[in-house]
Amino acid sequence: MRTMHPTLLIGPADWDAQRMPRAEFQGRLDALWRDHPQAGGVIVYGDAADHGALAYLTNFTPKLEPGIALLSRSGEAALLVGGGINMIPAAKPLTWVEKMLPLRSIAKSVPQWAMKLAGGTLLVGGDAMPYAMHGELFAALGTAPEDATPTLQSHRRRKSVRELSLIRQASTVPGKAAQALALARDRNVTDAVIAAEYAAWQAGAQDVRSLFSLDGGRSLVPFDVPVAEPADPMQVYLAVRVGGYWAEGFVMLGAKPNASLDAAKSALQAAVAQLRPGVTPATLTQTLTKSGTHPAALPAVIGIGLAVQEDLPLNEPLAAGTVLSLRAGVLGEHSGVIVSALVAVTETGSDVLWSAP
Amino acid sequence: MTFEQRLADIVRGMKAQGLVRLVGVHDGAHFIEKPDPVLVLTGFKSMGPCAVVLGDSGGRVLVVTPAWDAARAERICPGVRVVSADDVVEGLAALKLGAGATGSAGIDMLPFGIASRLVALMPGTVGADNVVFDAARTKTDTEISHAREATRIAELGYARLLDMAKPGVTEDELAVDQRWHAKSLGAEDNFVLLCAGPHNKAVAPSHGRALQEGDSIVVELTPSYRGQLVQICRTIVIGQANDLMREKYALVVKAMHAGIAAAQPGRPMADVCRAINAVLEAEGYGEFCYPPHIRRRGHGLGFGSIEPGDVALDNDTILEPGMLFMIHPNQYLPEVGYLLCGEPVLITATCGVPLTAQFAALAEVGV
Repeated sequence: MRTMHPTLLIGPADWDAQRMPRAEFQGRLDALWRDHPQAGGVIVYGDAADHGALAYLTNFTPKLEPGIALLSRSGEAALLVGGGINMIPAAKPLTWVEKMLPLRSIAKSVPQWAMKLAGGTLLVGGDAMPYAMHGELFAALGTAPEDATPTLQSHRRRKSVRELSLIRQASTVPGKAAQALALARDRNVTDAVIAAEYAAWQAGAQDVRSLFSLDGGRSLVPFDVPVAEPADPMQVYLAVRVGGYWAEGFVMLGAKPNASLDAAKSALQAAVAQLRPGVTPATLTQTLTKSGTHPAALPAVIGIGLAVQEDLPLNEPLAAGTVLSLRAGVLGEHSGVIVSALVAVTETGSDVLWSAP
Repeated sequence: MTFEQRLADIVRGMKAQGLVRLVGVHDGAHFIEKPDPVLVLTGFKSMGPCAVVLGDSGGRVLVVTPAWDAARAERICPGVRVVSADDVVEGLAALKLGAGATGSAGIDMLPFGIASRLVALMPGTVGADNVVFDAARTKTDTEISHAREATRIAELGYARLLDMAKPGVTEDELAVDQRWHAKSLGAEDNFVLLCAGPHNKAVAPSHGRALQEGDSIVVELTPSYRGQLVQICRTIVIGQANDLMREKYALVVKAMHAGIAAAQPGRPMADVCRAINAVLEAEGYGEFCYPPHIRRRGHGLGFGSIEPGDVALDNDTILEPGMLFMIHPNQYLPEVGYLLCGEPVLITATCGVPLTAQFAALAEVGV
C-alpha cells in the first residue's frame, strides 16, 4: 500500500541476535546459493524506500542513504554504507555484517570484490538503484550480473518460524492503534489519526504509516494538512513495522448501521474460510470482490513481511508460512468501505493475526 | 514571487533552450537532498512515482500513481489536467507526447527500473533539470510562509526535546517522539537526525543507545510543512557542560553568526563558507575546515528545489532575495567532538535573516 514516504527512517532497527540469529541469515544465503549454483557472490542494493531484500539477508535498514551488501559464497560479507565514513558507527548496530565501508566509489570497490569471487555475480534490487549509480556499476563490472531479485522474492514469501513470531508481535500493534483511534475519533480526523500513530509508536513500532478518508470511505489520503472536523464514518488505513516486519489493516468506525460494511465483512469472512495451502491469490480475489468494487481499486490480496507489500503471483498456489493481507470493500455512490484481515497460511488452513473488529 | 510567476520563468527557460515541452519525474521516495520537479511544477507531493508534462504554452498534465491518489492531486493542483495511472511510464506513453524537443528533469534520481523505461520511451530527451531547479532557486511567497511555520514547529520540537532528554532514554525514542510531535503540530514529515555520545564524531541516524550523563546530543530537526523543509541544528549536554565545551560551542556559534552576516544579496555563497571558516581558522582549526572533516557549512532546503545549493567554497551562486538555506558550521573539534549549531536563513533585499526566534545556544539538561 502506497503511503507518503518519510525522508528518514527513524525507529528502532538494531539487529537483535536473540530474535533473528546469524544462522537464520546464513540459511537464507545458503538457499540463494542452492538456486544459483554457478554464483560466487551477490550484490544486494537497498534504500530507505525499498530495502526488504537487503534486510532479509543482512538485517540492515538503510535509514538515511542507500546501502549495498557484497556477500560471497565463501562467507565473506561487507556492507557499503551511504553518507561517508562517519555514518559507519551508526550503521554497525543494525546488522550482523562486521566489515563496513563507505558507499562512495562503487565503481572501484565492487569490481575488486567481484574479481575475487569463485563464480559469477548476482544482483538483487538493481531496479531500485538510482539510474546514475546503476550505470556506473554496470560499466565498472563490464558484464551484467545475473538478476536474482525474483529468486529472493520467492524465498521471502514463506516465512520461517522466527519470522512468524516477529510478525505476530507486529500484529498486536495495529489493534492498539485502532483502540486509540476509536477513543479519539470524536475530536477531529487529525487528532484521531495522530492518537493512533502515537499508540503504535508507544507499542514499539519502528515505522508507522497512515491514510484516511475524508469522503465517507470512497478514497484515501495521506496526512498533508490538519483536518479540524471529525469524520463519520471514519475509514483509516494503518501500517506498522515492528522488529523489521510490517502489519497492516483497515479500520472502519461509524455510528450508523452500514449495509456496505456488513457485505464487505461477509466477503472477508468467506475468503478467510477459504484460505489454505494450495489456494491461489486469484481465487481469493474473486471471493473478496464479490461484495463489490474496492474503493481506490486496491488489490484484494497482497503479501506482507519485510516490505509492506511483497511480490505475490496471482496464480501461484499459496504455501504454509505465507502472510497475507486480505481486503474486501464496497464502493458506493456516496460512500465506501474497506475491511481487511492479516492472515498467515498454516498447514491446515489459516490463522488470523489481526483484523479490526 | 508567486507560484505562477515562477512557472512563467520556467516556461521562458524552456523556450530559451528550444524545448517544446518539459517532463519532470519523481518516484515518491522523498529525501532531503533529492529535489522534486513534480513538486516545483505542480505543488503536488506524491506518494508514488509521478510525472508532469509542461508545455511551452504553460499547460500542465500530471500523471499520478497510485491511480487512487488522483483525486488528491486534482484538489491540490487546480488548473492542472490530472491523469491517473497504475504505472507512471505507461501513463506518460498514453499521452502520446508527439514531436518536438523534449527536456527532462529528475531522471538521474529515479530508480533504474523506472528511468530506463522512460529513457526508452523518450529517446533524444535532453536534461533540463537546471531549467526547473534554477528557476526555483528563490522561494515563492507561499513557500516562505510555509518555511516560517516549519521553523515554529522545529523550535517547539526542540523545547520538547529538552524536556524529554535524560539518562536512560534511547536515541530512537527521542527521534520517534520528535517525528510524531512535529506531525501533531501540522508537519507532514520531519527529518530527525539525532545521536548522542561522550565524544560524537558526526551526526548520524539514531539507534538503540541509551543516553548517559556526560553525553552530548547532536540533533538536526527538519520538519516539512506542506512540502517545505526547514532545519535547526542544536547541541544538548546531559548534565553540566564543562568550561571547555562552553568555550568551544561559543566558538562555533560565533562562526555561524559570521556566516549569517556574510549572507547578503549580491555576494557569492562561497563567501558565507569563507566567513565561517575564518573564525575557526583564527582559533587554529584550519585543518578541520576542509574535507575529510567538513564538506559544507549548510545547504538548500527542499523538498522542491534544493538550490541555491551547499554553503561551500566551490559554490559561486550569487545570493538573491528570496533564497532560503541552512547555515550550520556543524564542526568537529578534537577537544569536545562534533558540535551542531545552525539556523534557516532567508535572504532579504538587504541581508540574511534567520527564521528562528531563538538562535542555537549550548543547552544543558538536568540529570
